Amino acid sequence: MTAQTPPGTPLWRQAFDAAEKRVTPHAESLVRTPQFATGVGLLRRAQNLAKDTARGVSARAWHLVNLPAGTDLARLRAQIGALDREVRRLTVQLETERRRPPTADATPEETDADGAQPAVSARPRPARRGAQRPPRA
Amino acid sequence: MLDRVRRDVERNALRARNGIKLVAGVDRPGVGLTPKDVVWERGRTQLWHYRSDKVKYSPPLLIVFSLISRSYILDLTPGNSFIEQLLDAGFDVYMVDWGEPDERDAQNRLEDYVDDYIPAAIDRVREISGAEEVNLFGYCFGGDLSLLYAAHHPDAPVRSLSVLATPVDFTKMGPMADIFRSGGMEIDDVVDENGNVPPRVVVQGFRTLTPTSEVTRYVTLWERLWNDEYVSAYSAMTGWSDDHIPFAGAAARETVQMLVRDNGMVTDRLTVGGDRVHLSDIRLPFLTVRADRDHIVPPDATAPLIDLVGSEDKHELRLSAGHMGLVVGKTAAKTTVPEIIGFLRKRSDESAPGPAAGQEEE
Repeated sequence: MTAQTPPGTPLWRQAFDAAEKRVTPHAESLVRTPQFATGVGLLRRAQNLAKDTARGVSARAWHLVNLPAGTDLARLRAQIGALDREVRRLTVQLETERRRPPTADATPEETDADGAQPAVSARPRPARRGAQRPPRA
Repeated sequence: MLDRVRRDVERNALRARNGIKLVAGVDRPGVGLTPKDVVWERGRTQLWHYRSDKVKYSPPLLIVFSLISRSYILDLTPGNSFIEQLLDAGFDVYMVDWGEPDERDAQNRLEDYVDDYIPAAIDRVREISGAEEVNLFGYCFGGDLSLLYAAHHPDAPVRSLSVLATPVDFTKMGPMADIFRSGGMEIDDVVDENGNVPPRVVVQGFRTLTPTSEVTRYVTLWERLWNDEYVSAYSAMTGWSDDHIPFAGAAARETVQMLVRDNGMVTDRLTVGGDRVHLSDIRLPFLTVRADRDHIVPPDATAPLIDLVGSEDKHELRLSAGHMGLVVGKTAAKTTVPEIIGFLRKRSDESAPGPAAGQEEE
């Protein structure tokens, strides 16, 4: 029984704690060895190789009957995802630009561009003054 | 002897009842229940504003959460919630929640979060609150995003930066990082059909850090299964630690290359959106909180941070807690949270109580 064991701890728990205390340092140092890292990497690659081979075979089968395979759909989804990201980024950047106060040294081109905006102002409404704003000195 | 037998019989009956409840998934504690409003969203990302009628400090506090876990850990259960404590202390609290990435997010790079989403969230917070700036608070990997943001935007409207359990030295992150650094594994080896790193890979990675803890967890659960309070806390905590979200593929690739292999935070080899950034450019009042018993982000991985930022007003808080114990439980309530609140109070202005925060007009 260790000094840290609280009173009333069942015997089975004491046995488990003793075993755990012996095993844990070894297990933790094992997973921190370069061999473990290399082993996990190799295992994952082997899994992927098997998966890719199976996918390649099934894709060829679907293509034989002129149908798209899962890999084709994955490629399409990736393209749509990339497009979605571009649109999101542009939207966020546009929002930021709209929030930015107009600069005094706007060029005539910029002024024209502002004039071409829709009748409903694209500029944000004035900021609400919240209760947490410190009182003015 | 008779009392002991009677106690064991009673406990076994309770074990059976609680075991059935756990397996059936009934009676799970509600998480993330503090009332809030979604005040901005783009894609899967949302900005939440927590309702409060106790706001007495300005500027507002903006929490940037991690990319790979669920944000409800900061608002676990009523009475055991970091958010609740911040609101009770008088802060106006907002949080950026990244949502659950899908195939549309597979191409998201770190710059998307650092240069687009965080600035947009800050703008929205300033717009709602009328404050000129915010206090920024990053949790775990959200701390890394906050650091990159503060480094890339030195003139950002941020009054102070606090980060909690934020790794910077990825050579000390343990087997999960070693597998990518020295094991030769690539992110492409682990991405799913959506192009993201699936949550099970992230969970497995964290489990590798403490290989025997899974068994110990179940043994402790069996021992204390009769205790309703323990089972409720177990459900909430382990529910969170098993409940991760996918890591956007491109951001994961960048993280592995820049942060893990190049160890960019420590070696000063950071790039955001094609620009070189330096943590030494961060001059804001700064607080880093690290946990000595953190098995997810080991203390050695967070230790160099205090010396890397260029702030003059910088502080490190070192606590004897685990990763979750920094924000959840009695230790957090007594030590971490009061310390963080104390730091933020000193960097805030006290204002007269006014209308409640939240319930924004859209």
